[in-house]
Amino acid sequence: MLISKILQTMKTKKIIYKVLLIALPLIWTGCSDLLDVEPDDRITKENFYKSESDFQAATGPLYNKVWFDFNDKFYYGLGDGRAANLYAPYSDYVYPFTDLTETGLTGPLVSAWGSLYNVVQQSNNVIIGINGSTVNESLKSKYIAEARFMRGIAYWYLASLWGDVIISTDPRELVKNPIVNKNPLKDVYEFAMRDLEYAAKYLPETAGQSGRLTRYSAFGMLSRVYLSYSGISDNPNSGSRNQEYLDLAKKAAEKVINSGPYSLMPNYADLFMIENNNNSESMFALQWVPNGDFGVNNTQQAYFALSSDITGDDAAWGYWTRASYNVLQEYESKDVRRKATWMGDDDFYPEISKSNGGYTVDHAKDFLTVKKGVVGSTKDNSKITRMNSALNTYMLRLGEVYLNYAEAALGNNASTADALALSGVNKLRVRAGLDPKTTLTYADIIHERRVELCMEGQYWYDLVRRSYYKQQEVVNYVTGQNRGTITPILYDSATNTVSVDATKSTSSRAIGVIDATIFVLPYPESELVQNPLLRENPVPYQFTEERIKDLFQ
Amino acid sequence: MTNFLITKSKSKYFKNLGCLILMFVFSAAVNAQTTVSGTVSDSNGPIPGVNIVVKGSNITTVSNFDGTYSISAPSAGTLVYSFIGYKAKEIAIANKTKIDVFLEEDLNNLKEVVVVGYGTMKRGDLTGAVSSVSSAAVTQSVATTIDQVLQGRAAGVNIQQNNGAPGSSSSVRIRGISSITGSNEPIYVIDGVVIDGTTGSMNANPLAGINPSDILSMDILKDASATAIYGSRAANGVIMITTKTGKKGELTLNFDSYVGWQEIPKQLQVLNLREYGTLKNARADLGIVERDNNFIRPDLLGNGTDWQKELFTTAMMQSYNLSASGGSDTTTYALGIGYLDQDGIAIGSSFNRFNLRGVIDSQVKSFLKLGVNMALNKTEQVTTFTDGSLILTALKQTPNVAARNADGTFDGPDTTEFVQNNPLGLALMRDNHNENYGIRANTYAEISFSKSLKFKSQYSLDYGFGNNYTFNPSYAFGALVNDIREGTRTKSLSQNWIWNNLLTYNKNFGVHTVNVMLGQEMQEQHGENLYGYRSGYITNGATDLNAGDPTTARNSNGSWTRALSSYFGRVFYSFNDKYLLTGTIRRDGSSQFAKENRWDWFPSAALAWKVSNENFLKDNKTINNLKLRLGWGIVGNQSVPDYAYTSVYGTSATNWGSGQIATNTANPDLGWEKTKSSNIGLDLGLFNNRIELIADVYYKKTDGLLLDLALPAYAGTTGQGATAPPTFNIGALENKGFEFTLNTLNMQRNDFTWKSNFVFSMNRSKVLALNTESGVYNMTLQQGSDVTVVTRTSVGQPIGQFYGYKVIGRFEKATDFYYKDKDGVVKPTALPEGMAIGENGVWIGDYMFEDVNKDGVINEKDTGYIGNPAPDFTFGIGNTFSFLGFDVNILLTGSYGNDVLNYQRRWLENPRENTNLLKSALGYAQLELIDPNGPNDYRNVQIVGGDPYMPRIGASSASSASNYRLSNRFVEDGSYVRVKNISIGYNLPKKLYSKYGISNIKVYSNAQNVLTFTKYKGYDPEIGSINQSVLLTGIDNGRYPSPIITTLGLNVNF
Repeated sequence: MLISKILQTMKTKKIIYKVLLIALPLIWTGCSDLLDVEPDDRITKENFYKSESDFQAATGPLYNKVWFDFNDKFYYGLGDGRAANLYAPYSDYVYPFTDLTETGLTGPLVSAWGSLYNVVQQSNNVIIGINGSTVNESLKSKYIAEARFMRGIAYWYLASLWGDVIISTDPRELVKNPIVNKNPLKDVYEFAMRDLEYAAKYLPETAGQSGRLTRYSAFGMLSRVYLSYSGISDNPNSGSRNQEYLDLAKKAAEKVINSGPYSLMPNYADLFMIENNNNSESMFALQWVPNGDFGVNNTQQAYFALSSDITGDDAAWGYWTRASYNVLQEYESKDVRRKATWMGDDDFYPEISKSNGGYTVDHAKDFLTVKKGVVGSTKDNSKITRMNSALNTYMLRLGEVYLNYAEAALGNNASTADALALSGVNKLRVRAGLDPKTTLTYADIIHERRVELCMEGQYWYDLVRRSYYKQQEVVNYVTGQNRGTITPILYDSATNTVSVDATKSTSSRAIGVIDATIFVLPYPESELVQNPLLRENPVPYQFTEERIKDLFQ
Repeated sequence: MTNFLITKSKSKYFKNLGCLILMFVFSAAVNAQTTVSGTVSDSNGPIPGVNIVVKGSNITTVSNFDGTYSISAPSAGTLVYSFIGYKAKEIAIANKTKIDVFLEEDLNNLKEVVVVGYGTMKRGDLTGAVSSVSSAAVTQSVATTIDQVLQGRAAGVNIQQNNGAPGSSSSVRIRGISSITGSNEPIYVIDGVVIDGTTGSMNANPLAGINPSDILSMDILKDASATAIYGSRAANGVIMITTKTGKKGELTLNFDSYVGWQEIPKQLQVLNLREYGTLKNARADLGIVERDNNFIRPDLLGNGTDWQKELFTTAMMQSYNLSASGGSDTTTYALGIGYLDQDGIAIGSSFNRFNLRGVIDSQVKSFLKLGVNMALNKTEQVTTFTDGSLILTALKQTPNVAARNADGTFDGPDTTEFVQNNPLGLALMRDNHNENYGIRANTYAEISFSKSLKFKSQYSLDYGFGNNYTFNPSYAFGALVNDIREGTRTKSLSQNWIWNNLLTYNKNFGVHTVNVMLGQEMQEQHGENLYGYRSGYITNGATDLNAGDPTTARNSNGSWTRALSSYFGRVFYSFNDKYLLTGTIRRDGSSQFAKENRWDWFPSAALAWKVSNENFLKDNKTINNLKLRLGWGIVGNQSVPDYAYTSVYGTSATNWGSGQIATNTANPDLGWEKTKSSNIGLDLGLFNNRIELIADVYYKKTDGLLLDLALPAYAGTTGQGATAPPTFNIGALENKGFEFTLNTLNMQRNDFTWKSNFVFSMNRSKVLALNTESGVYNMTLQQGSDVTVVTRTSVGQPIGQFYGYKVIGRFEKATDFYYKDKDGVVKPTALPEGMAIGENGVWIGDYMFEDVNKDGVINEKDTGYIGNPAPDFTFGIGNTFSFLGFDVNILLTGSYGNDVLNYQRRWLENPRENTNLLKSALGYAQLELIDPNGPNDYRNVQIVGGDPYMPRIGASSASSASNYRLSNRFVEDGSYVRVKNISIGYNLPKKLYSKYGISNIKVYSNAQNVLTFTKYKGYDPEIGSINQSVLLTGIDNGRYPSPIITTLGLNVNF
């Protein structure tokens, strides 16, 4: 009995020993593989940048996500708010710019700086990634050109707004040492121009996918950047511009007008319909994704829409985001662009609230809210969702290139009758329902720019460009906009007529000092804290590659 | 952890054996036999399984399940009653036939077993720093999750609830802060299953699924000599949790239930309708807002809506636990079922939990022991209130808005511009809740090759399945209309498993005792989630995604896997029970790092000297225990983002198909953050352990700090489309501190005992190095478009201090705009950059800030440290009184010297804001022209009223922003003393119920957060950390206050 129990015990023990003998090697081998973990939910660098479709996947987000924070509030808050097209006394993403009281802590300023540098660094990441790829060189240059275009534009914005900024071509170097000197305005401009010149050389003639860039997008953008650069000298009141760059601007614009695939849309208001995203006039637009996640959506409608009736949801915060008295005075009485840009009392929009037969604005005549960018609710177009209008954001369209050409053709003269300049500007005027011009002065061109591109985030940059060589004139102009006085108005939508409401008294508003400092924005405070060198003098940038010279041969 | 019991009973057995032999020598033989019977009980009722021995004989018995016993013994003999965890009691029979015995729990028992990594140790043998908290702490508090039990009860452990909402998380810091951007939460080892304490969110508590009443003991391993056996993940300490297992004997049943009431500790004083109207008129006078015709005569108005009253209610909670345990000589079992339901004091918050568990341990063969321990739980948490930040909405919503219409529907503001939503409507109508299911189980086999050599293989798993539901209904609250109904569903799955194999060898060779453990372990954590979204629902009724519009669908799915492979060993050596040595070493390989940096060593060593066992102290009447401990070790932290060592891309939508965007900057050199720590400890027992002191001094130095490099935005690291800043091993920091636990038995007389327990912890942290000499680490908070640096961490400073401007005064009169420097030259007072003297700039009644760098302007160069959230020290004082069947326990906890940033005062106290405000906002500086006919010039303006420390109403947004920039004005003293718990228990007299087969009935009442003494102006000085980040600690950004809870409970033993 006892013996059998012992035997049984031994048997069980033996089994256990056998199990252990089998298990232990398993443990050893199991351990070595266990630690090799491959992600299933994302791609690693080991298997990316292997083909053209990878390049396309890498450049795609450069058209939307990296610009999100810029587009969200700064695009119009700065571009139109600071130029006093927009009056939004309670929206802290607009009024600090209009009132000229922004600081290094102003939210949209901080996020726009970050966003523009996200464009720069993600473009750099793409350039570095493609450069390291084994795909053939011509294909590589095509997509590097796309990334350099984006980086060039970002630097144009940075230069226009902050002047001296840090030029970076590799984020990994900043990771190693983030405390670097900034580079001077002129070098930043040159850096932007070189990027765009590269893009003009290597981007394709036509876009493979609707909405992607062509080399003419780069020429169009160059016409703007050359124009800006032509005014830069040591004397901000020199009164004249560099003819060499005026000529380059003219040539670049001419290239677009004469050889490019772009043409004007017949009807101005159609430019701002979702179904016309990437239309024949659109040369570069941010490509927002219908029903896309936060980050690839266009939020602007939510900040502009007059009320929930339009958006169908609570994201309609535009009641107090209004046309300034100053901009309303700019419109000619027959100009159809007013109704496409601003909603006034009694204006009717068939594309909004379609189920009710369209939307008629109905409030007192004392204000106008934003129309451009306001497209309706999801019931009007299924692409629209809460805080996502699905409308592309124009960064460059043919209309502007006409005006760039005219401004370059005008050059340092008082007026011009250049045929191409007149034909371009008159096409815009006729489309707007206005009479053509026979000669063009700077006043004509800048009026046309302000109205044509109103609420497309442009006018402030026009003023900055002018300030490079006629600074005092622009200071006087901004002073004359009378931003500190809020005039009660009455607006007749049918005739585009604005008048002062004598029954109400004007009120005043605290604004900042208007002098030469308004043309340079403060650096975000957190950047100054982290890099005290930003307060030091800029250091010239060392260009290493040869500048492209054969673009116009 | 089942060998726990065996070790325990063995040691007892040897002790008793020793006693027996001694008694045999000295006692006289007695012949007259009698039968003695009675009941053995403790403060909780009868105790089964108590060993009863006739002193000096081998006559022995064990008490029954109802605590009764019967033994035949010499009528002149003595009975010895002993049981694990209780003080042995000797009672002379003296011809009695009935002896009822009351056993006292032995809290100072050095033979008590402490759970250490992969094993247990006698407390007396410990060489490291370990604090233990018994299950008594659970019954003395209203703890819904286990982290709350530890608060104020363990030295060196600082616990703050991040949020008072039911089921929310805590920030647990063991001996300070050892990582800046990595996790600082300890790991929890529950019956061998490792659970990470990190959630990174305010609401979800990873420990929420565990029922505190299932817990037998918690042992907190604090210094590296104790934690190094957990190697790469132990830098923040290890909390060992042992759940209750079965006890040999007849079936015993325990039923415990309580109901409780919860209340908000206080309301903040906000403006009523009259005050709001008056202030609005004042703002209209300044042209800040349009005049509101409803406020022509504010004095005629009522109080308006009290939004705090609308949102906070008295909330109920209830808890039920039923457990059973028992067992034969070879097999023991324990089963339990529990339910907790807690409503939040704020509408739209609640938590409930269902638990089920079972443990079986069986000695199936003389050499083979098997066991399984399974625990299931389901929790459900409603987070509508916290996720919607409704506390701020409630404070900001103005009193002129009604909560409800006459018909009971929700009302709202009559315009949509610059108004707050109806927080009550949102809390009640919006759905945001989650359900989580968890299974935690382990099974083991233990083979005894011989008495001293054992092999144990244990497989543990922890699976979790989570469901999150949100639905945003359509509503019309006044002018605020939402037509878009949105729903989301998120499913998450986590699968963690650990398999370890341990070989242990225990042997005594005369005066040498050797304990060797060798082990191998593999573990893998895998997680997945699946998210879906739709809008376009037709009604607010059916809210599943299928009821939404398919064309609006969005979805996403992700997963992650982390694995760890380890080898480890421990040697314990004791010489003559005087000199003790413990050495451990662990080698870990982690999947979180590149192949070359994957493996590392984590060693430790500790020495202890039991001075009291030396001859010169052996017979000392005063000192009965004195032990000195010395320990050193290295532990790691591997909480880095997944795949940080290589470049990864994230999918981002484009209209041309899926886009890929770089989401990180790779750092292939990434490795462990390593903390070296040294510890000197002293254990002292005086007067037969009536006074027990455990004191420790430590120094910890962390090298290779895991740091998400704080890079400027021009490196492309902030906002949408940014790359995450890379994680680097850069920098170093140190923690040093002192902590002690003092347990005293103050009085013990007949039926009255009074015991005290005092824990004290003090820690200082300092950054020794960062990525650069001048490197700083800033943390920002965003509110609307205001982005502000709130804390800064820099070399030579403590971690996460508040950072901002210093208010040095107020411009009271014209001469304040100028001052004389030391040479007598009149200079203008520094003004904020870009601002000049003027009503729209800097004016009488504005703050004067310290111009730190004396450059004449106030800008970011003038910011500095304005407060430290780390306390000088924290403490807990517990007092337990037992008398006449009553048990009373009072626990006080406190914190001294910590600052709190009352962040919302930046808006709630700014009289220019459009929202409702704190009453203190009315104290703004009131201005008047000195000469009413004179010009509106700063030389002709004076302050005529208001709080002397408040600025004026800013005439421009710039002056308002300047006055309400982050400054020391918003930093408050966060010291507090809190009566954390009062518990009273009463054991009903047995004669009332013994005939029903009930062995004990206890009724009890607990009160939690009873009283708080503090100067802090917000709801609650216990703030915790935002997202468990040490860099956002002590910032009150609308924290849900911890409720006052009162419970009434019943505990019945069958």
